[in-house]
Amino acid sequence: MRAPITVAALIAVAVPLVAQQPTDPRAQMAALQIPPLHFTPPTPKRVTLSNGVAVYLLEDHSLPLLDVEIVSKVGVANLPDSLWGVGWQADNLMRTGGTTRLSPDSVDKLIEFYALTVFLSTGNETSTASFSGLSKYTDQLLDLGFDLMRNPRNDTSRVRLIAAQQGEQWRRRNDTPGSVLGRAWNQVLMGDHPLGRTQVTPQEIAGFAPERFRWTQQRIFCPDNLVLGVSGDFSEREMLARLERLFRGWGKCPPGLRPMPPVQFARGPRVVLVEKDVNQTNIRMGHAGGVRVGNTPDYFAAQVADFLLGGGGGFNSRLLQRVRSDSGFAYSVFSVWNADTKREDQFFAGAQVRAEKTVAAVRLMRDLVGSMATEPVTAQDVKLAQDNEVNSFVFQFQNAGEIVARQLGYAVDGLPANWFDLYLKGIQAVTPDQVTAVAKRYLHPDQMVILVVGKPAAFDKPLTEIGPVTRLPVDSIKR
Amino acid sequence: MRLLVGLTALLAIAPPLGAQQTTPGERLPVVKYVLPNGMTFLFLRREGAPTVAFVTHFRAGGVDEWTGISGTAHLFEHMLFKGTRAIGTKNYAAEQAMFPRVDAVADSLTAEFRKGDEADTTLLARLRGRLHQLEDSARQYVVSNELDRILTENGAQNLNASTGNDVTNYFFALPANRAKLWFILDSDRIRNPVLREFYSERDVVMEERRLRVETSPGGLLREEFLAAAYRAHPYGRPVVGVASEIQTVSRTAAQEYFRRFYGPNNAVVAIVGDINVDSMKAWATRYFADIPAGEPHRPVVTQEPPQHGERRIEVEYDANPQVLIGYHVPEARHPDAPALAVLSQLLTGGRTSRLFQRLVIKERAATNIFSGSGPGSLYPRLFTFTVVPIAPHTTAELEGEIYEELDRLKREPPSPEELQRVRNQIEAGAVQRLEDNFGLAFQLSSSEALWYDWRQTFRDQTALLTVTAADVQRVAREYFDKSNRTVATLVRPAQPAAGGTN
Repeated sequence: MRAPITVAALIAVAVPLVAQQPTDPRAQMAALQIPPLHFTPPTPKRVTLSNGVAVYLLEDHSLPLLDVEIVSKVGVANLPDSLWGVGWQADNLMRTGGTTRLSPDSVDKLIEFYALTVFLSTGNETSTASFSGLSKYTDQLLDLGFDLMRNPRNDTSRVRLIAAQQGEQWRRRNDTPGSVLGRAWNQVLMGDHPLGRTQVTPQEIAGFAPERFRWTQQRIFCPDNLVLGVSGDFSEREMLARLERLFRGWGKCPPGLRPMPPVQFARGPRVVLVEKDVNQTNIRMGHAGGVRVGNTPDYFAAQVADFLLGGGGGFNSRLLQRVRSDSGFAYSVFSVWNADTKREDQFFAGAQVRAEKTVAAVRLMRDLVGSMATEPVTAQDVKLAQDNEVNSFVFQFQNAGEIVARQLGYAVDGLPANWFDLYLKGIQAVTPDQVTAVAKRYLHPDQMVILVVGKPAAFDKPLTEIGPVTRLPVDSIKR
Repeated sequence: MRLLVGLTALLAIAPPLGAQQTTPGERLPVVKYVLPNGMTFLFLRREGAPTVAFVTHFRAGGVDEWTGISGTAHLFEHMLFKGTRAIGTKNYAAEQAMFPRVDAVADSLTAEFRKGDEADTTLLARLRGRLHQLEDSARQYVVSNELDRILTENGAQNLNASTGNDVTNYFFALPANRAKLWFILDSDRIRNPVLREFYSERDVVMEERRLRVETSPGGLLREEFLAAAYRAHPYGRPVVGVASEIQTVSRTAAQEYFRRFYGPNNAVVAIVGDINVDSMKAWATRYFADIPAGEPHRPVVTQEPPQHGERRIEVEYDANPQVLIGYHVPEARHPDAPALAVLSQLLTGGRTSRLFQRLVIKERAATNIFSGSGPGSLYPRLFTFTVVPIAPHTTAELEGEIYEELDRLKREPPSPEELQRVRNQIEAGAVQRLEDNFGLAFQLSSSEALWYDWRQTFRDQTALLTVTAADVQRVAREYFDKSNRTVATLVRPAQPAAGGTN
């Protein structure tokens, strides 16, 4: 059950011992002896139920808590297009719409009386259910959780409730600049692809009906698509028997889902302006990310590049250092270089900057994206990213729930069980040249879509100095 | 599949209840260690992954600011990440020698800025440019963000800080084998902080204000609401600061704030995780004991005068409506606080609560409803309802229904089942909060900083278990009167601003 992990060996750090000057923190740090960490993270046990469903189990009796995590390998993007809105709210109805034997109110009462945590989520490409609570209420927790997944009632009153709430969310969609930016970005970058949808439209709300919710729920949460994780205070034998019982009579997934349509990310150069009367401008710029998650030098180098540009590198990333610390243009500035095992995802840099520095900030950010290819990162920079990953690895194993959830993630993404180990080794092997090379290959500052939400009259210069500007009226953001 | 437990059986499995009951938290083997200078350490060794969480609370918050420097507590919090005489610099002496020149330009800028509409905009722009130029020139001696770099390369997690009305906290976690780094770095930063890159950071904080308040309808409404509810007590001032004061606060004022409130006697550190308590004690003494004690913390003298009649304000913003309804209630340590917390749970805690049931589920008139007390803990505060209507329902309609439910609670006691639900949630919460080093360190450090007793917050949880239906009714009658109420409503301006139509 316990597999030794080799990362412990990676973190031995040699620090030269120098003469100690107790008042000088530099001398103290130089003299710091860092003992090796002796830590073997527990490994969840993988078991297959009689219906073929994989279960990851990790007992931890330190607290009387039970945590069950269920991931479905499909999501809303796998539904026919006409059901996207229904699928997007199918999770909400599973939680609130009752079951064939329990009214919606009864479900709420059980959950809140026993202080259970019940969470269902239909995402675009995967979906999740998680159930947790005091282990003395294991029966109540699992019986209810499986009832919600297997027998959703989709009570008409609750369908109407969710329709009303989604309608109000639609009404409020332009109230904050962040909401405008996110929706406009998705539309410009991905058109109407399901990956770019985060808001249900009035037309979709009009199509809400119990049987349509049921159709989607039966196809997203069904045994063939599920992987389970159980952690906390339970005993393996009893839990497996219980899970067999809970799955009994739950048949195959009905047909009707599709593979997610391929996504095409828009290519720039394009400058898009959405006008909003605010004294702070929301900026986002980017394009397709190019890389996929995998045990390849490009993926690991891209991770390090993102860290050093504006991802995990914090204040020592180029964007934070230059846009925030040096220039004082923004409080929030960052980059995101996403990837997936099955497809490329997107790269972007974003910030909220004072209106009167908008054009200066757009230029600076674009230059910093470009600098990853033209101003090579140093060995010291790369080492910062590597040391951070390696030295913080123990934080990935702080509780049984996180350990199990990570294994579920790997299983659903098709990554090997020892992916974390491979990941650390991959990061360790990255060189400054590789970082420069992936930046050259995948980051194209001259081909970015640049989206600006703000008040052009307050800008430092006309936005046209960046390039020809397309105006996107806020009402033409379709969702 | 087994049948679910019937609802009628719910009460039978309720946990036994007694006034002497202690929560698991109160029994934790926390070691309290106080240095002669008054600095307090709380150590808790826990099994599990080799990580250690460090959370420090200073008894210094927004309430401690004086007139004209609002936002300084928060700006100073940012400055504590800028380094010290040793960290963050290539040449501290050269750097320090430039400060008076930079500050002089900043003072001239402030003098011109103070003229308001009469200010010479050309001169303002020139002074701003000069200020940036000088600060940029000082950067030749700066190793910017070096503290962050050291911690990042050592695998620190959750490095951050936050400023509240009552207290300010600083926190991060380290792998257990690097715990000593915290002692080296944090003893240095509370001993010798250097407020370098001060004026560019002032700009950063101004953007934080724009992000959280000026471009956020909810943030703006809350700021105006607190200002309307408090006429005298500093809880009415925004912690992030008033814009004109953020833009003009001086390095000297920030240094003075530090001198007055950041003495070791005002600091409480909780260290939780895979630690050796004896080493921790030795390092605490070695690194912190020689820092001289500062001024003792003086609580705010100002008391908010009683409110004589309802206060109503409208806040105009180009967004859909929402409303905040607040009642003055006592500080968190007051004997009525537990009953008020239970009342909050009964009315808005979850889908089965009274107001959620009525406004959200039955009438579909609101997207959600929340209640709770704030903005701080040490001084009398506001019990506030936040509610967001679903059109065509109006905020006025929702207000009326909330008042009806409050009146009903005054007349009809909560049922035993309602109270039991709240108690069960408290019990589960008491166990769940022990799951995480960080959460524990936060609670221990905050409880000791506010109440000089790390057990107090756990005890407060226990107190909730003994609240009776009569207690809830009594506090409902005591505090929820019209004359004690402030209502702030977000409305659209008569002429909608350009852009953002809906």
